[in-house]
Amino acid sequence: MITCRELVELLLDFIAGELLPECRNAAEQHLKDCPQCLAYLEGYHRIVQLSRHLPAEPMPPHLVRRLQTMLQENCNDQLSGNREGTVIDM
Amino acid sequence: LWQIDFFKDLRQMGSMEDSTGRSIWGGTELASRIPPNEYERKVQERIGLLKYLTHSSAEPDSAMALIAAGSQTPPEAGSHTRLTPEEIVREYAPRVYNLARRMLGNAVDAEDVTQDVFLQVLRKLPTFRGESAFPTWLYRVTVNSALAYRRKRSVREGRRVQEPLDEFQEDGSHRGPIRHWTGGPLQQILDRETHLLIEDAIARLPEGYRDVYVLADVEGLPNAEIGEMLRLSIPAVKSRLHRARLEMRRTLAPHFEETAP
Repeated sequence: MITCRELVELLLDFIAGELLPECRNAAEQHLKDCPQCLAYLEGYHRIVQLSRHLPAEPMPPHLVRRLQTMLQENCNDQLSGNREGTVIDM
Repeated sequence: LWQIDFFKDLRQMGSMEDSTGRSIWGGTELASRIPPNEYERKVQERIGLLKYLTHSSAEPDSAMALIAAGSQTPPEAGSHTRLTPEEIVREYAPRVYNLARRMLGNAVDAEDVTQDVFLQVLRKLPTFRGESAFPTWLYRVTVNSALAYRRKRSVREGRRVQEPLDEFQEDGSHRGPIRHWTGGPLQQILDRETHLLIEDAIARLPEGYRDVYVLADVEGLPNAEIGEMLRLSIPAVKSRLHRARLEMRRTLAPHFEETAP
């Protein structure tokens, strides 16, 4: 049976589903028998879930204005008459 | 005229342009030149990308879900999305700003990097030929700019992650008690205080680990792409990501673990 430390070293591949069957079986067996590691896995996985759903912080209004001005000036220079905007070719 | 051409490789495989030179969606000539499955896959890929780009709140996961669903209607032939400077800033700048903020660990530096990225976008966009999807290209420009900005700062951070060995006894068992986490993930996903705790824990990660963590677990990029951006091998990306997650868990456990009975 693998140790708790060895189990923790497998967690990245374990939650990504990238462990070889032998290692996966050993990890699952360890987790069945070890409530400490099960709780550890829970925290490890929770962090990943929560990080993936972090909301974006709003940009400072002065930065938004600065970027818009910069783009507008560039548009005016480069598009020379085409003031409808930038074409993103879909 | 700036053209972000998401369909270049499709056009290369067959005629995708009408008489005015505008790209069109598909076309019988294209469809007949490549295997139907490949054509369908590429079209669906671009539908997902299009949906992703036109819904700023959508996660890349959502785009992948749209691709997988495969039931979206292609945009009309010859359609173009015309973006004003306001729309460009609204669509793309928050992603650039937030990636830079998290990589650099503070908002003031992120402002400088965001401005630098948009200057580079203005300079390089005319030569952008769709070798990669626009968001991927923008990620690369942002990561490079943030790394360059950090190199310019003379003070290097001295933080290190704690070795996992320190958490275990000689026989490989946990040194201290590990308790279950309180609450459910769904409730915590919406909780502002949880967001702040996680953002703070990310900012405390050592730089090399923070970069990988932000790109992998916040932005959801694949390891191979992160490796290319940071010039790391995939095993090195995985090793850093694992160490960063262990450090995040260690930092956040006191806030989220159930209290001792």
